[in-house]
Amino acid sequence: MRNESLKDIAIKELLLQLADDDFIHSYRGAEWLGLAPHIEEDVASASISQDTMGHAAIYYKLLDELGEGDADKLAHDRPAKERRNAIILELVNGPGHYMKDPDYDWAFAVVRNYFYTQAKAIKVQSLHSCSYEPLAEVAQKVQMELYYHLMHWKTWFVQLLGSGHLEAVSRMKAAIGKTMPDFAGVFSLGQYGEEMVELGLIEGEAVLQKKWIEAITPIFESVGLAATIQIGMARGDGRNGQHTEDLEKALKTLSEVYASDKAASW
Amino acid sequence: METRQGNYFEEFEVFSRKTQSSPIQYHFSLLAPNEDIAIMMAQENFMRREAVDDIWVVKRRNIRKMTAEEKKTLQRIDNKDYRTTKGYGYLKKKWRKYEQGMLDEKEIMSWAGGVKNEE
Amino acid sequence: MNVLLNDMAGEEKLNQFIARIEAGEKIEADDWMPEEYRGTLIKLISMHGISEIMGALPEKEWVPKAPTLNRKLGIMAKVQDEMGHGQLLLRVAEDLLKPYSKKRDDLMQDLFKGDLKFHNVFHMEAKSWGDAGLIGWLVDGAAIISQTNMLGASYGPYARALQRICAEEVFHAQHGEAIIMALAEGTEEQRKLVQDSINYWWESLLLFFGPPSKKEVGTSKQDITIKYKIRTSTNEELRQAFFSKYVKRILSLGFSIPDETLRFDKESETWIYQQPDWGKLKVFARNEGPRSQDRLSLRRNSYEKNKWVREALAPKII
Ligand SMILES: [Fe+2]
Ligand SMILES: [Fe+2]
Repeated sequence: MRNESLKDIAIKELLLQLADDDFIHSYRGAEWLGLAPHIEEDVASASISQDTMGHAAIYYKLLDELGEGDADKLAHDRPAKERRNAIILELVNGPGHYMKDPDYDWAFAVVRNYFYTQAKAIKVQSLHSCSYEPLAEVAQKVQMELYYHLMHWKTWFVQLLGSGHLEAVSRMKAAIGKTMPDFAGVFSLGQYGEEMVELGLIEGEAVLQKKWIEAITPIFESVGLAATIQIGMARGDGRNGQHTEDLEKALKTLSEVYASDKAASW
Repeated sequence: METRQGNYFEEFEVFSRKTQSSPIQYHFSLLAPNEDIAIMMAQENFMRREAVDDIWVVKRRNIRKMTAEEKKTLQRIDNKDYRTTKGYGYLKKKWRKYEQGMLDEKEIMSWAGGVKNEE
Repeated sequence: MNVLLNDMAGEEKLNQFIARIEAGEKIEADDWMPEEYRGTLIKLISMHGISEIMGALPEKEWVPKAPTLNRKLGIMAKVQDEMGHGQLLLRVAEDLLKPYSKKRDDLMQDLFKGDLKFHNVFHMEAKSWGDAGLIGWLVDGAAIISQTNMLGASYGPYARALQRICAEEVFHAQHGEAIIMALAEGTEEQRKLVQDSINYWWESLLLFFGPPSKKEVGTSKQDITIKYKIRTSTNEELRQAFFSKYVKRILSLGFSIPDETLRFDKESETWIYQQPDWGKLKVFARNEGPRSQDRLSLRRNSYEKNKWVREALAPKII
């Protein structure tokens, strides 16, 4: 065990959470490439996945600077139990494989992307006053791209729910029902959460969650949804290394080439 | 066979402006069910490698373009130097005789930020 | 309006149309054009467009697997561009299809029915990361040669779409070269990835430009496209250009080309090469290539599965 200060540990934990969240989220987004409901949307949402993976790369780089190993290794070469991402973000887009008979659900994509982007915007806002200066600076940059991401997913969310189309509305409601029970995992700060707050790295889970509910409530109301927003961590807390089969499989795929020769330069 | 989803593909023309003072530039057209979705998709479809200041989307059926025939009205004989600076280039030489510079486009446009007092 | 032109006889219209093309003028979507011209453009551009969309799939397969963050980002951006090229080209084709009241949905259905073909290269398997790199390097290289050849196309909307596309292709070529360069300068296994890819793709690359003349497969659109100034070079001239630009690059990295007869004949100033199996073009056209059916079913699957989205947001018919 290295002799690290609690502050160092808390900073690294937080960076890992931010990086792993964005990394797996953009991975799921990238699986949608070529499969979106129409071509123009395919092109537009591909930019969001790239931006998001770019954010992950920035966080991994901060970790690299703190001596945690290089960004590609952090992204590709850590087993599931060391990953800190929220479980809701690792869940597959739907049954099937991205190359064969994917039964991807656009409603789930829209709901998860909207919820996550809104949550990310709130966390990133909070990071503006992070006591760890490099992260506060990064937060300013990341925020710039979130305006578009948020407008994008909010538009889809509102339009599909407000469409009056029976199937669309029921699919969206089902997707909300699928997302909520695990969504609190996004706000979890893990076992060093209290230290993070005490050290002024980020606001506490309850504060972040409350702001998120305040942000989405009017949107829910605008489409006639009763705003009883209850989120949980039904499948466990990803911040503490609890994960599903879905993540195991994703890691295997995303590191396939990397793992074929870890020493090689690609 | 006209399905309802056929209507989903409404045509929008996409325009942008690089800076607040640049002219509107046409990009291309895209398909979207309504203008909110059209504007949400426009930048990443056509301007993902360039910075812009504003984007317009216009439903194509709201644009009145000229017909091939109407375009004929745009033809002119190339004899209108009298209304362009080209027809007055000879002044440069003239002014030189009086030790004066030419008030050409570059010079006049440079007054935009105020003119330095001089004798 | 309609003062001068409307009652013009068909033949006169045709003569005027030819004169405009000869003078280097661009034809626009709303302009009068002979049926043969429209038909040729529709065939060419809808195939080009749908090939971009189908062409995104082989590389898409490698997006999640790309070995570094930077490669993941690069290949995502590249696949995104290919979808974007499809978008631009289908818009051009859709406008040409107006007189037949055909829309994007109809083009997709044509693809699924097998009436609308996509390029031979995109029926092939992308088996390895080496293939992912080679597609960017040589398949895009071949595509750049044929696309730049049409930059001056007489049909304005196509020329403008190609202008945007070719600008992005420059990035694709460099993206492909970067992947290949890293592998070429890497381990023996990495170099083998590239060599295997070259061996697997070489014939497809030659087929890509189409047969030299009618006699190889029975039909060839090349004469009409040249007549109407949609492109300038023949299939064979484009293939020769590909050899001229790429053979020395491949060899310079120490790789071999699976054609012992390949050489530049100084006297005739042409490349001599082993003719590919032209019959394969027909196999691909029947969607019977190694991955034809899988890719089609993936495209069909996503189109059908998302139908509810398009229905939900379609403006209501009153
Ligand atoms: Fe392309
Ligand atoms: Fe390309």
